[in-house]
Amino acid sequence: MSVPTTGSLDRRRFLTYSAGAALAATALPGCAASVDDGSGGGSKSGSTTLTVMCEKDDFDIKAAQEALGVKIRVLKSDPTKLNAMLASKTPPDVVRGLGAVETPYFAARKLMADLDPYFAKSAVLKPADLDPVNDLWRFDGSKQGAGPRYGMAKDYSQDQMFWYRTDLFEAAKLDLPSETEPLSYEEWLDLGKRLTKRRLGKVKVYGLNVTGLGSFAPLMGMTASAGGSLFAEDMASVDFSSPEALRALKWMLEYTKADIGPSVVNPNPDGWDWPTFQAGRMAMASDGYWFGGAIAGDPKVAEVSRLAPAPQMGSNRVSPCFGATGFWVPRDSKNKDAAWKFFEWFFGKEPAQTRAAGGWGIPTLKSLRSKMPQEKPYQKQAFKVQEQELANFSVLSFTPYAQREALDGVISKVLPGAVKSGTSAGKVADELNKQMNDLIAKGKDVLG
Amino acid sequence: MSTEQLTSAAGPAVQSPAGAAATRPPRRRPSLRTRRAGAFYVFAGPWMLGFLALTAFPLGYALWLSFTNSDGLSDNARFVGLDNYKEVFTDAETLHSLARTGLFTALTVPLTIVAGLFLAVLVNQPIRARGLFRTLLYLPAVVPPVGAALTFRMIFDRDSGAANGLLDLFQVNGLTWLTDPYARWVLLFLTMWGVGNVMIISLAGLQDIPRELHEAARVDGASPWQSFTRITLPLLSPVIFFQVVTGIIAALQTLAPLLISLDPTPRGLGSVPESNNLFMIHVLDEYFVGGRYGYASALLWVLFLIIVAVTFLIFKLSKGTVFYSVEPERAKTKTRTIGGA
Repeated sequence: MSVPTTGSLDRRRFLTYSAGAALAATALPGCAASVDDGSGGGSKSGSTTLTVMCEKDDFDIKAAQEALGVKIRVLKSDPTKLNAMLASKTPPDVVRGLGAVETPYFAARKLMADLDPYFAKSAVLKPADLDPVNDLWRFDGSKQGAGPRYGMAKDYSQDQMFWYRTDLFEAAKLDLPSETEPLSYEEWLDLGKRLTKRRLGKVKVYGLNVTGLGSFAPLMGMTASAGGSLFAEDMASVDFSSPEALRALKWMLEYTKADIGPSVVNPNPDGWDWPTFQAGRMAMASDGYWFGGAIAGDPKVAEVSRLAPAPQMGSNRVSPCFGATGFWVPRDSKNKDAAWKFFEWFFGKEPAQTRAAGGWGIPTLKSLRSKMPQEKPYQKQAFKVQEQELANFSVLSFTPYAQREALDGVISKVLPGAVKSGTSAGKVADELNKQMNDLIAKGKDVLG
Repeated sequence: MSTEQLTSAAGPAVQSPAGAAATRPPRRRPSLRTRRAGAFYVFAGPWMLGFLALTAFPLGYALWLSFTNSDGLSDNARFVGLDNYKEVFTDAETLHSLARTGLFTALTVPLTIVAGLFLAVLVNQPIRARGLFRTLLYLPAVVPPVGAALTFRMIFDRDSGAANGLLDLFQVNGLTWLTDPYARWVLLFLTMWGVGNVMIISLAGLQDIPRELHEAARVDGASPWQSFTRITLPLLSPVIFFQVVTGIIAALQTLAPLLISLDPTPRGLGSVPESNNLFMIHVLDEYFVGGRYGYASALLWVLFLIIVAVTFLIFKLSKGTVFYSVEPERAKTKTRTIGGA
């Protein structure tokens, strides 16, 4: 090997070269990212790469690439990775999220792009055609449901409705729940206990799962149906000590103690309800209409599956949506125009029609509502129950000062010990108030 | 300045090739020292770049963050001085997680080293199929920690796991393994699962001990136990010392095995049983669930300082207990002599 003869590679020169190389390495991706000039020609060069953070089955990547004329790079949904990417200002171009509980948090931190100008110009996604559920993706700085649109739901459900298996009800010699009258939470818990099957300390069949979307959201819904609210009006604190919230908390403690379904004490190893429900190991699953999409894939399960209205804690008939799952575009996305093309394709074209016809939730464009499946008996029943339930739809606003996972985390820390030691609901409420309000206060402090 | 002056100022670089041949001094080959320095920088350069970008910068950034109330996302973060550090020493949850981590380290490091050494001594015996045993014992250490943790979660699930399935065969009631109080034993078991790593290092140390020493001891009438305690252990002490230091550092940062405690549903980190809520889980919780980048960065800096202090203490305490076959000082002198030759 020949040694350079033009001069010695001293320390200073080496560091200079290294710094140059590092700067070049930093600058290159910037150049690549600047291919999209933001003038609507995201794909004009044919070399735009749209980074989408989503779930594996959200859409067909090949079809998306062909339809949009851009290269799609998919990242698996991961809140930790998303937070890190947002913090470093190199976010994905499109992000999957839960509009109901995430919009206030991200919008208050000015991380979401205002999509109103795009909606105004679009021939595919017209504001007049948007189902009101999409308002969960709006935030005006203090209130959810008003202000700019930051995202759109791909479909939605009223998440406290529940699916049940008629075969397990028949085996337990129990009457099927009504299609029109909601059960009270006490009746629901009692049914869950009767449907649970055990053997040698193990649960062979869960009677009921109410924690598919964590514990905080169901507690919000229960409190609302009892006539109260977990959050204060300014969203800056929670109160589990109000009579309505305390009633909901007592129910949750009883559910956890009864060990009739997955809970913070004994989580579901499947991660979600479908595998357990499909295997005949769960009699009632508190999943909304969207669960019908999974049920459609198994004719045997479809034959014995039915949908029921959301149970009620009090006289207030409330049937909220905790998800409104969809996509949003980060403010720092480098390919906003291409991201909007993805929006139009995913929410308004072939994928949206397929989802609507598959029973994966209620379509979020009114014009697609007619495509909801009604051929099979279970589809007819689910459609009928869902149509009746829509009259009770209500929006429960979420705080911008904390993420839902953080509030769920507090419940997961407090409840197991409380259930084990038999702590009174009042004391559990005090502990939840203390820990959650501390968390919310810290979040508020950062926002200023 | 005239053209002539410019040409003159530019020097030999603008002269004609013929002129250059006449005036440029003959090229000198760089000295050995320069060439060595060049080679050093070329080979060490990638690492230095990696260190700067992936270690020095994140450390510095985390240090800066630790003096703010940043949530990592909003632009409103402000300087809070030492508030985060003060909170570290007053936050009961942090102190509990630190205490649990200390206990976990005090328990697992000695256990792992003793078990690894025991296995190394076993597979160092002249037995048939020795290679197969070595491979089998080392195999679990090859499994990525996250994969092993997820597998353990499935094995120890109360309702559908193999562990309770086994108990079922004997008509014994199943246990809720992944919650308190059993979760800590599952964690311990999972930690011991990777003992093959320690075994391999101990085995290498054992094979480095001259056989003649054991033979001489046997001739002198030493029992196998005496031979082990008087010859093997002292000669193995540098290896054990290495394992103690790296073991403590790794145990204080334990994270992957704790995944077994994680609930796959949205509850996430908050679902870790109290007995397994070690320091790194608490840090992760503060970072990405609580959104407290400033405080979590302070936690990591405190852990870093604890690790430095513990390592320093171990080095101090090891004097007189670790036996080096080549004295470090002498080795240094010898190297210098060779280098200066």
